[in-house]
Amino acid sequence: MTALIFLLVGVAMIVAVAGHRGTALGLFGVSFVAAALWLRHHMDSVLNLSL
Amino acid sequence: MTSLVRLGNAMGAAGIAVALLVAFGLQFGLKELPCPLCILQRVALVLCGFGFLLNLRFGAQPLHYGLSILAALFGVAAAGRQVLLHIVPGSGAYGSAIMGLHLYTWSLILFVAVVAGVALLMIMGGRPDHDRSDHQAAMRFRGIHRFAAYLLIAATLANALNSFAQCGPVECADNPAGYWVAKYLP
Repeated sequence: MTALIFLLVGVAMIVAVAGHRGTALGLFGVSFVAAALWLRHHMDSVLNLSL
Repeated sequence: MTSLVRLGNAMGAAGIAVALLVAFGLQFGLKELPCPLCILQRVALVLCGFGFLLNLRFGAQPLHYGLSILAALFGVAAAGRQVLLHIVPGSGAYGSAIMGLHLYTWSLILFVAVVAGVALLMIMGGRPDHDRSDHQAAMRFRGIHRFAAYLLIAATLANALNSFAQCGPVECADNPAGYWVAKYLP
């Protein structure tokens, strides 16, 4: 999954350098949401913050 | 002042690429595989760099800075979560310490530094580059600015490859012991 997110951002960067700002922003949005959902998926364990 | 802001954005993009390459160096040098939260911190770094890259290519704009700040806050969430997982004495740590701090702590400091750096660039920036034509912005995208952007793209794609080699198409192990791709190699 993280490989796909990296790939999406990489493509967004290449698209931006090519001059297509709108498409690049759209790809960034998709990859940001995917990254946020993936972080939520990994925040499943309980935090122990004191002894 | 505009050229100083452009240099700051190039340094931001190149700095993030260098941080990702240092992480690679430690991964291969110390033979310590990144955990899922560590990889998500690398994702956040790449997302931060995207805002700098847009500023280099299309001119400095508040929208681009906003994307970098959002990504840095995402990074603070991922790194902060990992710091909190290990904050109680005796709860262990993940990976080796570098200059007394673990990588996730350095990562948290880096994301706060990105927010501070973006704030400085916005203060120095003055008038946004909205009025420049795309042709003008494209003409100014050369030299060190172009190099910083390409370095960031290369670091991002290298991370995609590394992440696939380590985790495969789905999910990384919590405590990774080897590369997923090694199962399919002779």
